[in-house]
Amino acid sequence: MAKILVLGAGISGHTASTWLKKKLGKKHDVIVVAPTMHYHWIPSNIWIGVGRMTPDQVKFRLENRYKKSGIIFKQAKAVSIHPEGNEKSDRGYVTIEYTGQDKIGETETVEYDFLINATGPQLKFDATEGLGPGKNTVSVCSFSHAAEAWEKLKESIERMEKGEKQKFIIGTGHPGATCQGAAFEYILNVHYEIAKRKLEHLAEFKWLTNEYEVGDFGMGGAYIKRGGYITSTKTFAESFLKERNIGWIKRAGVKKVEPGKIFYELLDGTEHEETFDFSMLIPAFSGPGMKAYNKKGEDITSVLFAPNGFMKVDADYTKKPFEEWKASDWPSTYQNPDYKNIFAAGIAFAPPHPISKPMFSPNGTGIFPAPPRTGMPSGVIGKVIADNIIDWIKKGDDSLKHKASMARMGAACIVSAGFGHFKGAAATMTVFPIVQDWEKYPTYGRDLRYTVGEAGLAGHWLKWFMHYMFLHKAKGYPFWWLLPE
Amino acid sequence: MKEQEMRTEAYSEESYPPMPTKTTLFWRRFWPWQVIRWIVLNIKILRIVVGGHS
Repeated sequence: MAKILVLGAGISGHTASTWLKKKLGKKHDVIVVAPTMHYHWIPSNIWIGVGRMTPDQVKFRLENRYKKSGIIFKQAKAVSIHPEGNEKSDRGYVTIEYTGQDKIGETETVEYDFLINATGPQLKFDATEGLGPGKNTVSVCSFSHAAEAWEKLKESIERMEKGEKQKFIIGTGHPGATCQGAAFEYILNVHYEIAKRKLEHLAEFKWLTNEYEVGDFGMGGAYIKRGGYITSTKTFAESFLKERNIGWIKRAGVKKVEPGKIFYELLDGTEHEETFDFSMLIPAFSGPGMKAYNKKGEDITSVLFAPNGFMKVDADYTKKPFEEWKASDWPSTYQNPDYKNIFAAGIAFAPPHPISKPMFSPNGTGIFPAPPRTGMPSGVIGKVIADNIIDWIKKGDDSLKHKASMARMGAACIVSAGFGHFKGAAATMTVFPIVQDWEKYPTYGRDLRYTVGEAGLAGHWLKWFMHYMFLHKAKGYPFWWLLPE
Repeated sequence: MKEQEMRTEAYSEESYPPMPTKTTLFWRRFWPWQVIRWIVLNIKILRIVVGGHS
């Protein structure tokens, strides 16, 4: 009997664990360790942040779901990984600390034959002084943050209803923050809610971003066929903002936030500040800060993890200039090179390099987005790791035939910009592949047949469809396994 | 916001991107056309989902 331990129950971890259990059945143990009791469909947070959905519409309790499937669930956070075991046993184990299930603070060791690290990111609000919920800005990174964002937004709307002007600044809150898509979606939704209430004349909007150009989205932008031209997503994204009279500040690394004031540095090295009444800024991400120890108890954290806390996998981490990076540098099996029974899925794996070109100000501040790994790639990676482990256990085949490199994988990013069956709107962007392959597609780095940028109701319907489809799948409702990642 | 209320100052960042015309906005909301686009987008997304991993 094999024991597979999955750390994290987000899109990647949940996909991996449910798929493993379905294929391996009762003969093998699948254990999930996650610090929160809920699964939540993160892309719909935006709708919580503008009061269109409640947290209950995007989340459900993991314990019930896993009990039904026979998955062992431990509501705890992973503290350390011991891949070589200890003096008594060669079996790898993870030390966990409970955060729920009436065992808060209790520690335990969980042995494994296979380990999938799918912890997702740690939200590093502390990396920017004064940033984040409970401080001076709001966030939409979790359902509770999004609910708080809606409370604050409501206050701003109420002030506008009394005739007071309000300034909204939305974007990235750290020079190296990623997830521009979520922030972009949020500013469009906030604009929609205000326009719907006919309060636009009292609102000033600013998109604040660390992107070199608007529309970079941490993936070096993309090229799309549009209006008889092949044009960049810069034009596409800027047009979307201009249409709504939203201004923008780009190449900006936020350094500090005080009540009502944002301090940032531009790529040219100049320092600026901007006042605001309401601000949602995405924080920097890092790994969850787990430690790793070898059999002797020596710290091997730097062997297992990159300096940013993400886990090393089968990528080429050799340091080289941006122009020399290749699509083949990206991992495809997500297996740790030192410990073959350890895998990292979704945001938890360390990317070999940024997709957006690294840019530094004269002061040495790196102002560019980190590579995004959320959403679609996360689900696909979780599934591929599960498939390889299933083959390994059932057939003894450890060749890891299933592969999913982000340089051979596409992604769809749907940015909703309205609400309602016929009043909704969205910008739909698909890219293929996510990481440009300049050898295969020398002109644009991507296949333009599948790289699309389109605005309209269709995208809004797609976003709705995905909300229900992926929650149906995550909840394990009938025929969930037929739905693609 | 009404078009006349929007100022486009030359040489400003915001003056360069294209603005959708009324016709473009109409097609974005015209639901029979959007149903077709929905099908097309679904096919494209399915294609990249299936082709993205082995």
